[in-house]
Amino acid sequence: MTTMTCIRPENLDEAVDFLHHHGPDTHILAGGTDLMVDLRSGKHHRPYLLDTSRIDSLKTVQISDDLSRLSIGSGVTLTRINTLPLIKDHAPALHKCSFTFASRQIRNMATIGGNVAHASPCGDTIPPLVIHEAEAVVANKDGNRNIPLLEMNKGAYQSALHPEDLVVKFILQARQPGFSDFQKIGRRKALATSRMSMAVMADKDSQGCISFIRFSLGACTPTPQRMHDVESLFTGKIPSVKLINQGAGLLAEKMVEITGRRPSITYKEPAVQGLFKRMIYPMVTWCRQ
Amino acid sequence: MSNDRYHTVGKSILRRGAKERLTGNPIFCADMEPENALYLKAVRSRHPHAGILGIDVSSAMSVPGVVQVFTAKDIPGKNLMGIINKDQPLLAEDKVRSLADPVALVAARTPGAADLAAAAVSVDYDPLPAVFDPEEAMAQDAPQIHAKGNVMVQKKVCRGDVTAAFDKAHTIIEKTYRTSAIEHTYLEPDAGIGFPDEDGTLVIYASTQNPHYDHKEVVSLLGVEDHAVRIIQAATGGGFGSKLDMNVQGFIGLALYHLKQPVRYVYTREEAFLATAKRHPFVIHMKTGADETGRITAMQMKAVCNTGAYGSYGIAVASRAAVHATGPYAIDNVNLECTAVYTNHPFCGAMRGFGTPQMALAHESQMDLHARALNMDPLEIRVLNGVKKGTVTATGQVLTDSVGFQDCLTAVQPEYEKAMKGWLSEPTPAYIRRGVGIGGMWYGIGNTGVQNPSTARVAMDREGQVTLFTGCADIGQGSTTVLSQIAGEALGLDAMDIHVVVADTKYTTNAGATSASRQTYISGNAVKQAADKLADVLLTEAVNYLKIRKSDLRLENGRVFDSRHPEKQVAFSRLAPRILDKGGELSWQGYFDPETVPLHPDTGEGIPYSTYAFACHAACVEVDVLTGETSVCRVIAAHDVGKAIHPENVIGQICGGVAMGVGFALMEEFVPGETISMNDYHIPTAADMPCVIPIIVEASEPSGPFGAKGVGEPALIPTAPAIINAVTHALGKRIYALPASLERVLDASIASGHFNNCYQES
Ligand SMILES: Cc1cc2nc3c(=O)[nH]c(=O)nc-3n(C[C@H](O)[C@H](O)[C@H](O)COP(=O)(O)OP(=O)(O)OC[C@H]3O[C@@H](n4cnc5c(N)ncnc54)[C@H](O)[C@@H]3O)c2cc1C
Repeated sequence: MTTMTCIRPENLDEAVDFLHHHGPDTHILAGGTDLMVDLRSGKHHRPYLLDTSRIDSLKTVQISDDLSRLSIGSGVTLTRINTLPLIKDHAPALHKCSFTFASRQIRNMATIGGNVAHASPCGDTIPPLVIHEAEAVVANKDGNRNIPLLEMNKGAYQSALHPEDLVVKFILQARQPGFSDFQKIGRRKALATSRMSMAVMADKDSQGCISFIRFSLGACTPTPQRMHDVESLFTGKIPSVKLINQGAGLLAEKMVEITGRRPSITYKEPAVQGLFKRMIYPMVTWCRQ
Repeated sequence: MSNDRYHTVGKSILRRGAKERLTGNPIFCADMEPENALYLKAVRSRHPHAGILGIDVSSAMSVPGVVQVFTAKDIPGKNLMGIINKDQPLLAEDKVRSLADPVALVAARTPGAADLAAAAVSVDYDPLPAVFDPEEAMAQDAPQIHAKGNVMVQKKVCRGDVTAAFDKAHTIIEKTYRTSAIEHTYLEPDAGIGFPDEDGTLVIYASTQNPHYDHKEVVSLLGVEDHAVRIIQAATGGGFGSKLDMNVQGFIGLALYHLKQPVRYVYTREEAFLATAKRHPFVIHMKTGADETGRITAMQMKAVCNTGAYGSYGIAVASRAAVHATGPYAIDNVNLECTAVYTNHPFCGAMRGFGTPQMALAHESQMDLHARALNMDPLEIRVLNGVKKGTVTATGQVLTDSVGFQDCLTAVQPEYEKAMKGWLSEPTPAYIRRGVGIGGMWYGIGNTGVQNPSTARVAMDREGQVTLFTGCADIGQGSTTVLSQIAGEALGLDAMDIHVVVADTKYTTNAGATSASRQTYISGNAVKQAADKLADVLLTEAVNYLKIRKSDLRLENGRVFDSRHPEKQVAFSRLAPRILDKGGELSWQGYFDPETVPLHPDTGEGIPYSTYAFACHAACVEVDVLTGETSVCRVIAAHDVGKAIHPENVIGQICGGVAMGVGFALMEEFVPGETISMNDYHIPTAADMPCVIPIIVEASEPSGPFGAKGVGEPALIPTAPAIINAVTHALGKRIYALPASLERVLDASIASGHFNNCYQES
């Protein structure tokens, strides 16, 4: 057992300044629901723990005046994602993912920033963030920079963040889509890491053809993926069972291309198609309304 | 039987110990912090099978804060443990047989120092070839794990002529079933503390299911006199069978013996996962034959169970599995055999049901397969075959009383039919298929064909205060409450007015293990006998005092009164000194040993248990044919408990049993060497729980206290088979291996065509 010094900055500048001097020796602590588990398992030993929970500016949620950009502070908890009307309206798939995320107790602590920074392939907020083409705003002593969500992870559990970096917020392309969903498969109904997750949002034109679609697959691949091929297949078409089956096949093919054939693929290859069908099938009726 | 005739039996009174738990009293070992206690930590093997060439503790001893590092040579007595067969050393001597095996024990001033020192103990291993598959372990040239060979035991039950019966059978079904190793995952990881008393007694508080066994074992390890060791059961946060073994008790005893200073050992969840027993994984080959009416006429069963590196309760698991293979059905011709085999997996031991839950998967699947082959309803085939009064079991025992299986079937029938007719045909999304399944079970109360007595003492002091002394460990199921009710009923007292002294080897006598669903029945009888003896002494004295004949006297509210003229009465507090002054006895011992006859080694003939519990569950499930996700929506659970002494406790056992059954059916699988903790081992959460409809059936047991039998293990047994039968009903494709995980259910859905046909192209 080693001792750690806990630092509790009251504002962003103090935090950034501390990280500038001690970044590589510091764990950033948000809700702690990943970090405490990692610390207990003895994976890391760094002398400092930087607790971000007092930094109010990390907890804001705002929509731009033209409603095009939604900004969500890295310290926003999943419970708030579950309850804020702004998120429900402008990022509905993100809102939906908060229902099946861990358990109520964990959601009260867990933050969106921690979920992304942990770089787990299974982070449930990732597919919803990807379909909103989110970027992380990252601060360090040199100023702020934006990292697209798709570039946040170098690999499974390998974040692209530097030790001096603090994620401040996420900027999402806000949208109130006609159709949106998030679905996941876990080994049980609560407190289950996603074996697979996916998020979608879409709009249709007056003919019922898909005019806009974003789709992302989570947990199956080492890094976040937006599935452009699947999106293209649907764009301009009226969803039918045939099209959905085709989309499911294409998705599985793309997934296998990325992951190769590991033993878990025996389940994942059909399941990814099954979950896709389950999620997309309601579009058939929606487009005909 | 109506509860009105009882004073406290049949009433769900406040549970003993509830207040202490709710107000956070330090009653669990992890919360007890004796001053200057040293922290203990076992060093465990790095190899599943290896010789030990040498152990070097010198660098561990030089870690600051380390007080001592013990190895096998520090054990003064016999370094061998095991409740049935002694094959497990406290600390490994010449070899290790699994990754869980302890080779050294560190005592240090801080947990950190203990961890560092444990890592610094250097063991020179000579790795040996290891074997993990029990069927492979039975091969001639397999690595030998124990000197006596890898086959630990083989139990057989034979009756009638199986070959002839199969020849005549109309339908024969032959299948292989597999179950997984299961971790008990009790709420409280194993824990204990110890300190030397003023008179030098080594006092050990432990989270345990069997303090009197612990006592015997610690005494033997240390080679000391009985009175030199005192074991007290601390509040125990669940056990489910795993706390029947010596988990921390031996380590604490060893350190206390040498250091004469307070010590504590609290397992982390990881250590509880690695180092304690698992449920035996089974491979079961079962063949059954039925005539054209659906009557099962023959069963052949060969099972192999993997006991891992040590026996623990493995022999009991093997014999119970063989005896229970038929399920609660009358089958005249049987050939049943269960073999328990050593491998290099961490050891398996007792877990809620001792092999019966594994067997129930097989016999309940076979039942449904026969029903399907003959186009019968699953409930109907069970009614046809189910045991009744007069049925002769596989071991040749005639069931005479308290045979409530048919009553359980009748009890679930209305809900079952509602589900089959209404719920099944309600509209659902295309990807959801619904199914309804039945699971039946029987369970012999107490140990199999061996003596397993319990004792108790009920004493009254001069002031008329009654104290119950029982060695029975209450592990959360509420036995102390139930035993108080039994004593209270016999003496006409409120259960809460009786003082209790529980599971403390200095003051209580042996009540045997809290296992085999035996405490209400066996210890209940011992308590009742002691209380009845005391009651009789009080009545005798009251006759003299009131001048009224005994048969007219009753005991109630701490007094004896004339049932015809209740105003004629005398308080216990008046009677007690009169009795004592005459040299009478107010402290009475009770003893009860259920009537059993040892099973014949070749045929299994005998009387394994004096009574059986019965149950039937019906499960309603929804299967997602696209992903393999299964939801258990509803479980109707009827249990024949003889008599529910405390109905809420019975319901608690049923609901908890269903939860455990859901885990066994759908998600739990301990993979040695891979599964580390609750992070990768899934047990059901509240969200996974179905709506449970418990139904208490009371087929009174004449030999039971107020007619009671037991329910602890039965509660779990029918759930998994009911769920598997329901999933099969939903998909039209059967799953033969537990757990019915996402992967297995999706496989079945694909094979049945539902996956592909879910949405039709128009
Ligand atoms: C029982 C249980 C169930 C769970 N179930 C789910 C689930 O269903 N779905 C899911 O997606 N996850 C789940 N998780 C994982 C975890 O809860 C989430 O990943 C959560 O979002 C992490 O957020 P946090 O605030 O707790 O992060 P922390 O644990 O505080 O931090 C996580 C990581 O992010 C870093 N970090 C935190 N904030 C910042 C920042 N502002 N800038 C830079 N780095 C930062 C930390 O240094 C650390 O490496 C579960 C965890 C547990 C224990």
